[in-house]
Amino acid sequence: MSNADVVLLDLVEFVPEKDKPSAREGLGDVVRQLREGGAEVFAQVDSELLYADLHACVCPELTGIVIAHLESVAQIEEADALLGQLEDERGILHGTLEIVASLETAEANQAASQIASASSRISGLTLGRAELVMDLRPEPSGEIHLMQYLMQRLITVAGSAGVTPYGAWWRAPDRGLLATPENTGQAALRGRAIGFKGSFCVLDNQVEPMNQGFTPTAKEVDEAQNLLEEYRAAVSAGAASIRRGDRIFDAGASLQAQVVINRASACAVHNKSKADAKAGRPVPAP
Amino acid sequence: MPKDIGVHRSGLTMPVVTPRFVDNAWRRGCDFINLDLEDSVPQHMKGYARTLIKDAIANVTKGGAEAFTRINHDLVQADLEGIVWPGLAKVNYPKAEYAEEIQKLDRIISRLERERGIRPGTVEIGANIETSVGVANAYDIASASPRVKEFGGAGGYDMSRDLGVEMFVGFDQFVYGKGEVELAARALDLEPHTAPFTANTTGSVGDPDRAFREAEAARKCGFRVGGGLHPNVVEPQTRGFTPPPEEVEEARKVLEQYRTLENSADTWAEIDGKIIDRYEAARARKLLDWSATCALRDQEKADAVARTEQAGG
Repeated sequence: MSNADVVLLDLVEFVPEKDKPSAREGLGDVVRQLREGGAEVFAQVDSELLYADLHACVCPELTGIVIAHLESVAQIEEADALLGQLEDERGILHGTLEIVASLETAEANQAASQIASASSRISGLTLGRAELVMDLRPEPSGEIHLMQYLMQRLITVAGSAGVTPYGAWWRAPDRGLLATPENTGQAALRGRAIGFKGSFCVLDNQVEPMNQGFTPTAKEVDEAQNLLEEYRAAVSAGAASIRRGDRIFDAGASLQAQVVINRASACAVHNKSKADAKAGRPVPAP
Repeated sequence: MPKDIGVHRSGLTMPVVTPRFVDNAWRRGCDFINLDLEDSVPQHMKGYARTLIKDAIANVTKGGAEAFTRINHDLVQADLEGIVWPGLAKVNYPKAEYAEEIQKLDRIISRLERERGIRPGTVEIGANIETSVGVANAYDIASASPRVKEFGGAGGYDMSRDLGVEMFVGFDQFVYGKGEVELAARALDLEPHTAPFTANTTGSVGDPDRAFREAEAARKCGFRVGGGLHPNVVEPQTRGFTPPPEEVEEARKVLEQYRTLENSADTWAEIDGKIIDRYEAARARKLLDWSATCALRDQEKADAVARTEQAGG
């Protein structure tokens, strides 16, 4: 059993076309089993097969869906309506199920802002496997062509829409979410550094490096806590900022330190509830 | 990817007022010749330059190259009247900033095509993005006319001047602008015409090795369009944008391996350290198509050169 925060059950990328009907059968049972194991469960569905895919996966234990190969706002609206209908039919509070929009095509990236605000269900954006869908390959520098632009664009659009950007900053020879554990860790660190909050991966041995890369280190947290304490003491004494070596810490910098601390404690709480679930102890709802 | 794409791997931009350039153009082996009325033509010769285009089109296409003309941003009406003649494949419009400009070009070209017996829709518009305003309006400009088939820019001297930055530096100062332009092109299914970054701190325009490296890097990132100013770069660009035999061979192998995979229950396999899946198969198919298209184009040009030589130049 993997230690991933989220398990994404795929109906798009890793299921051959002819096996899709059988993959959909019994999907609900798999969702329930995995949820009992403590992970949040999402299903990755095909933007062109929403009806069949959503009928197969929607159940109370599902947190939401990732819509792959998205091309238009209309597909989000279709998914939103279908999810609402299925929630009503299957005893789920209307509006509960989330949508993560996977912007893998040029059309979807062009329309990113409209997509991000097309439904109140949208909780996150990701580029998914855009580099494969758009056939973007390594430049001489090792960066994957166009991805720096697309990543920053996605993160900015997500920020302005108030949703979470998911992804990691992969470089050659990493490809399509596949990489060695070491390269995965580096991609996660770089990803966190430009604003991603977590990322999907494909192999079991990528989960730990991903978790580590996206969790602030103990050293970062220590430093943030020390600074915050010093800063607060200075503020109570009537100052607006403190100086440490050649750095100045003011209100903005202290908020940033608080972000690191909050992030770290959210990760710690989440790790505990995953452990509780694994041990069969009761877990509060996410 | 667009259907029925042009083959524009290499091309020379030359002042139409310099006879030794124009007269030798057909021997250069380019896919296209861009006859310039803009920055390489002195101000006092603009009117005269226009009158040369009709004959120059026939002259530079003798070796199988397509003829383009770059007009002046501020002399659209007069330039178009002077240049839209049978044989012209594209009007390059510099410093495009608004969709309305492209719509105006389209209207004038449409009229001239009818007046001069050119099949409607023949003449393409190259809307070149060279300013911040152009970057901000990239998507609207690219979608302003069906005559826009290749779309790019957001680099070069004019863009540098507009932004107030150095052109020849060791990093990519145009990441955002080039990204906007390429995304618009891809979203509209146009042929993108920018390039991945390769450092050029000297401003050299005639280095054949550099030209090859840049063209090859661009091709591997999905680009197919080149062009330059110096005859030395024509052959390296043509070569760099054409898949070499070993990549063609590799693509065939990928498709073979993919056919085997399709009959299994897996969607991907790792063979000799390389992933085989539908994305690699799609890429391989595209490479084989492009390779065949390039070979046809090379044959066309060779035939045209042979005919011209037989007729005595």
